[in-house]
Parts: sequence; C-alpha cells; structure tokens
Amino acid sequence: MDGTKQGNNMDSRQNNDCLKQKESNQLQGKQCGRREFLSRALKAAAVGSAAMVSGCGTGLLGSSEESALKWQEYFKKNYRLMTPEEKDETIARLERLAKLRKGVDIQMSSTEPVEDVLFGYAFNLTRCEGFMECVAACVKENNLDRKSQTQYIRIFEMEPGEMTPESGNGKYFHKVPVENHFYMGVQCFHCENAPCIKACPTKATWREPDGIVVVDYDWCIGCRYCMAACPYYGRRFNWNEPQVPVKEMTKKQHYLGNRMRAKGQMEKCTFCVQRSRAGRLPACVEACPTGARVFGNLLDPKSEIRFVLKHKKVFRLKEELGTDPKFWYFID
Amino acid sequence: MKTPTLKSYFFRILPALLLILSGLQVYAGQGGVVATIKKATAPFNDEERVASVPLLPGDTVLVKTKYQGGIFWTETRKDKVERFKCSQCHNNKDVTIAGAAEMAHGDITSVHGGKQKPLSCFTCHKKDERDFLVTEKGLKVDMDHSYRMCGQCHFRQQKDWVGGAHGKRVSFWAGKRVVKNCTSCHDPHSPLFEKRWPRTYSRPLVK
Ligand code: SF4
Ligand code: SF4
Repeated sequence: MDGTKQGNNMDSRQNNDCLKQKESNQLQGKQCGRREFLSRALKAAAVGSAAMVSGCGTGLLGSSEESALKWQEYFKKNYRLMTPEEKDETIARLERLAKLRKGVDIQMSSTEPVEDVLFGYAFNLTRCEGFMECVAACVKENNLDRKSQTQYIRIFEMEPGEMTPESGNGKYFHKVPVENHFYMGVQCFHCENAPCIKACPTKATWREPDGIVVVDYDWCIGCRYCMAACPYYGRRFNWNEPQVPVKEMTKKQHYLGNRMRAKGQMEKCTFCVQRSRAGRLPACVEACPTGARVFGNLLDPKSEIRFVLKHKKVFRLKEELGTDPKFWYFID
Repeated sequence: MKTPTLKSYFFRILPALLLILSGLQVYAGQGGVVATIKKATAPFNDEERVASVPLLPGDTVLVKTKYQGGIFWTETRKDKVERFKCSQCHNNKDVTIAGAAEMAHGDITSVHGGKQKPLSCFTCHKKDERDFLVTEKGLKVDMDHSYRMCGQCHFRQQKDWVGGAHGKRVSFWAGKRVVKNCTSCHDPHSPLFEKRWPRTYSRPLVK
C-alpha cells in the first residue's frame, strides 16, 4: 500500500526532497477512498511524516511545499530524542522553510558538544566600562527580535560597594565610564544546578554535556515557568513574532542556538553555541573592547578561565541559592 | 500490646532513614562545579578535540614569555606603525624638509605617566636605537614585543595578560593561543580609554 511504502521510505531516512515531490505527484493522481485516507493518516501520524499531506490531504491543507514542511515539523521529536538522521532532516526542513518564507539561505548545524569541555565565563568588574558593545554584538549574532528589542545581556552602572545588580542603574545612557562607578554585566549564568530546568513541564530546556543550558524552541509551550524560576532574570520571552531584517540576519545558525524563534517561545543566552562549539569565542567576548570578558573550557587546566579562577578574587551572584552558576565576577 | 512486626518497625525508622539519605544526597551534591573543576587536571588538547580550530594568523609573533608552561602568540605592531622603519628618516643624513617632525609626528600627544611623572618620548625611544624600544635597564625591545616595554611599570597587568585575566584572546578559545598585544587596544602614547557614548542602551525587562 502507498502509505506503507512511504512509511518505509521515511524509515530508511531518504531525505530527498525531489523523491518526495515525485511520489506525492504520483499519489495525487490516485483516487482515495475514505478508509484508505484514514489508514494512511494513521500511519503518517505514526511515523510523523507527511504522507497525509502529500497523499490525499493536499486539498485540505494546501499543496504548497511550505505547508508540507510545516506539517512535518509538527511531528518531530524533542531534540534530545532525535537520531542524528532525524536531526539532519529537521535541519534540512528548517533551512528550506527559511528559504521559502524569507528567501534567505541559512546554514544550520546541530554540532554536538565536545567531550571534556565545560564552558565557563568570567567577568572583570574592574575593566568593564559600560560601552555595551557586547549587547549590540549579541543582538546581531543571535538574531534577537528587533521589534521588542530583546537583549540577553544587561549592563548595570553601580555605585562602589554595591554587589547586586538590583541596586544598580540599568537604564543609564550617557558618556561612560562615569568616575567612581563600576559596571556589571548580567546574562544567563548557565547554572549547573539550574532551577529553570526543573521548572519546565515539557522538558523543553536542559543542560547540555558541555554545560550550556539550552531550549528546544519547538518544544516550548510558552508557559514561562522557567522565567519565574530563574533567580537571575536570564530568560527572554517572545511576546510577538520576532522580527529580524533579512540582511542583518546571522545565517550561520545552530538548532539550539540562534535559529529563528517564533512567537510564544522562550529563549536565552546559549554562550553562542553556534560559535563556541566550533572553537570560537561568543560574540560578546569577541566584541568587548576592554577585554572584561573571559571565556573558555573549565576542564582545561591551562585555559584562561582556569587562570582567573585560580589567581583572582572571584565571586558568583546569589551563590547561597545553590544554583551553581558557571559565571564568575572578578576584580583586578 | 502487640510486639512490633518487621513492617511496622521499618515504618518507625523510616523518617530517620530518609533524613540520612537526604543528608547523603546533600553531601554528594556539595562542591558542585567548583569541585568538578578542581578534579579536572588532565591536559586538554583542543587542537585535536575541537574540529575547526584556525591556523595561526599571519600577523602574530611568538611571545617570549611562557604561559602556564606553554607558548602563546600575540599580534604584531611594526606592520601597523605607519612609516616603519624609523631609521628611514632617522639616520645620519640631514633632513631637508621644513617642518618634517611636525608633519610626521604632529598627531602624537603623549598623555602617559600622570601629572607628577609624565613620560617623554625618550622614556621609550632612544636616539641611537631608532628601530627599537629600549627599557630602563638598556634592553633592546622589538616593537612587536611591546608588552616587554609596558611590563616594566605595569608588571601586574603584564602578569595578568600572560595568564589571561587582562587583555583578550583573538576570536578563538580553542587552538593556538593568540592574544591582543598591549598596543592592539591601548595607544602607547595615551593609553587610557576615552569616555564615550555606549553603543546602545538596556531595555526594561518584559515579564
Ligand atoms: S541563569 Fe537562569 S536561565 Fe540561566 S541557567 Fe541559571 S536559572 Fe536557568
Ligand atoms: S516557557 Fe518553555 S522552556 Fe520555559 S518552562 Fe515553559 S515550556 Fe519550558
């Protein structure tokens, strides 16, 4: 039967758009009984494929390639349950969808974590001068919504002696640095014992083996429990459909990182997973003109971050909560 | 009175058991990431492990100081100095152009060393070693290795720079360690960063 045939095809993971197109054309030429339709639909649902769309459902759901891809996207698994082939398939679909919707050629990856790497971050309170180059670089790199002006990083202007950003000025806009003030950057701290992960009812957010706390945007139901659970205000919610001008879009994307989110999905800093897993520094680190930001592998005894932890006075925010963040502040 | 059966006995000690168990769990969880870090002492060969580490960029030199037992590179300076080599003009021949000094170096204002002890040109540049810098102790320093010059006074910063707490790495955390030179970020003639407007401003959080 046709449904079975297509099901098998899906199983053998032949990710060939042309092939599918050809098959769907063949299928369209055939008469479809109600029973056949239903059984095929069931099988389609079972393998999470588009048999229904490419079969008899065409009239129902529109025959365009876009809606077929969208339909298949609905049935994909949580990222952590996907086989490598399934990851490749969804990436191919997302790349194609970006092309169809916005006419933009993106390159998406699902680069896996490197073994024996645990990412950590240190922030030099003495050096930061509040220039906010990091904020701008992050917005650009991570395709953050320009409409609501989402930002992952916030910089606070602080009086001497203050230690929590709550008492700092997060709204400054004047020439910096101001005498007798210091500047403190806050973002997601990638807690080892992250309360946001525990709060998520759909397991849409988790800690990767290299320590990065990520969100599978397509599994997020937008309940914002994680946002309430995070003691550092590290998460950002998409209240509207994120808007990024195509010519400003970062095309090199990661499934768990800077790919385009949708309305109603949670997002957050990912230590630029698309960059860091390729050995590069996160955009904020690279953009910082004062070198206040240090990033590296905590498990490498020769890394710079290890030097900072060993030789500098370091502290973490709200350490008493036991969240165990991988983000340290230090002074020269 | 009934003698306690095994089952009821178990229920009686259950709270104590739970307490011990939870205590054990807290104990096991102690230390967290800091303990993990302390345990990680094996060397990590990033060039082997990270697939896409870059080649060494062209405009770098090997730093003459060791970094945690290893080696590292820094950005060159000479190729960024307009009109290097200095001895092209500063040689035995007379300079015939009027106002040549003003034309060549008029853009330099030296704001370095504070009001009490301002540095002069000749603190670092010497009349008979035009193409090099010369330290207080008379050591000739190649301009690409300007960190050796700065480190005379700013030895604390130099130590942090060698370790990685001052200055910054170029582009990659993995692969060969390439860091910015002192002169990549600081103008040696007026090394303080100028005040300026921030690039953007923070948006209030929407919850
Ligand atoms: S800082 Fe907040 S969002 Fe980031 S890992 Fe910790 S709890 Fe989660
Ligand atoms: S908003 Fe999304 S990621 Fe956060 S708790 Fe809800 S489902 Fe999970």
